Amino acid sequence: MSTINFSAREINFKIVYYGPGLSGKTTNLKQIYQQVPAESKGEMVSLATEDERTLFFDFLPLDLGKVNGFKTRFHLYTVPGQVFYNSSRKLILRGVDGVVFVADSDPARLRANAESLRNLRENLQEYNMRISDVPLVIQANKRDLPEALDLSMLKAVLDPQGKVPVYEAVAANFEGVFEPLRGVATMVLEKLAQRA
Amino acid sequence: MLEPSLDLYGSTFDSVDGILRELLARSRARYALIIDHKGFVLMHARALWAPKPPSFDSFATLVASNYAANRAIANLFGEDGFRETVQQGAEVGTYLEELGAEALLVTVFDTTAQLGRVKIATKHAADAIRVALESAEEAPPAMEFDADFQQDANALLDGLFGTRQR
Repeated sequence: MSTINFSAREINFKIVYYGPGLSGKTTNLKQIYQQVPAESKGEMVSLATEDERTLFFDFLPLDLGKVNGFKTRFHLYTVPGQVFYNSSRKLILRGVDGVVFVADSDPARLRANAESLRNLRENLQEYNMRISDVPLVIQANKRDLPEALDLSMLKAVLDPQGKVPVYEAVAANFEGVFEPLRGVATMVLEKLAQRA
Repeated sequence: MLEPSLDLYGSTFDSVDGILRELLARSRARYALIIDHKGFVLMHARALWAPKPPSFDSFATLVASNYAANRAIANLFGEDGFRETVQQGAEVGTYLEELGAEALLVTVFDTTAQLGRVKIATKHAADAIRVALESAEEAPPAMEFDADFQQDANALLDGLFGTRQR
């Protein structure tokens, strides 16, 4: 749930990039960091291994500006995608307001995508949250792969009911990076407005 | 998720602000921050003589994550958590106290402060803050979200990320 700080007149949201290992979560954050103007972003923090795999999380604060007189900010996090870092993923999900699920379009990673989404569902349950209650978008990344999965196949596996917005992306080339973030940001703001 | 949070507003805010400043004066620490478990800064105070701090956003995120990780480690051994979280470098250290289930109080100090004094002053401040919160009479105002809210938010999102495509 969003944090409203009345004394500082701030509304803060936590957005988490989730998905299987090497699907491009950190690449998304790096691209956002490069493309967002300096006055709208803070420092990017990465807790990674020596071979640049995410160990705990990446973090990037974004400043949207003032809405209703409140400074509105998004804190973006990635989780480590590798299967054995589940404890870390669980910790990062605490207090999440919205999720960008970064799916890998490589056919060999279809199963990993499905397992990661199932893992997201299970970890949210640990906080008594249902995945259907959390603003969620899917980014189908690496669409430039020659053997990329049909989008219909990815949707059939990850969102068979067609309820979740899906965005195609080649994050490494900054294609389709802002769109899912904008999508989930809109959803969390709508949810906040409905709550009031 | 219903994440517990502190209502630091009105006279409670002023009271807690005074406690943080007293903590800095007593301990000779550089900065004192109250942060929530999501890693957001709720309040902070800085000693007049202290150098420019690093980004408090990054600092708060790392402290909250570190706290969560330490708690998970303690749980592995059947503990609820660790009683003390102290970190000391060659020049700078941090000391952390829980403020109930809602937040953390963290003090940043350097070699000009004694660790024992920092610990006592921080524990004392944490107790005083808990009392101030328990006796809080002023609730924050209900936030109004009218049609303009979504419109303003969308305009800002357009400015930052480009026009929405649907």
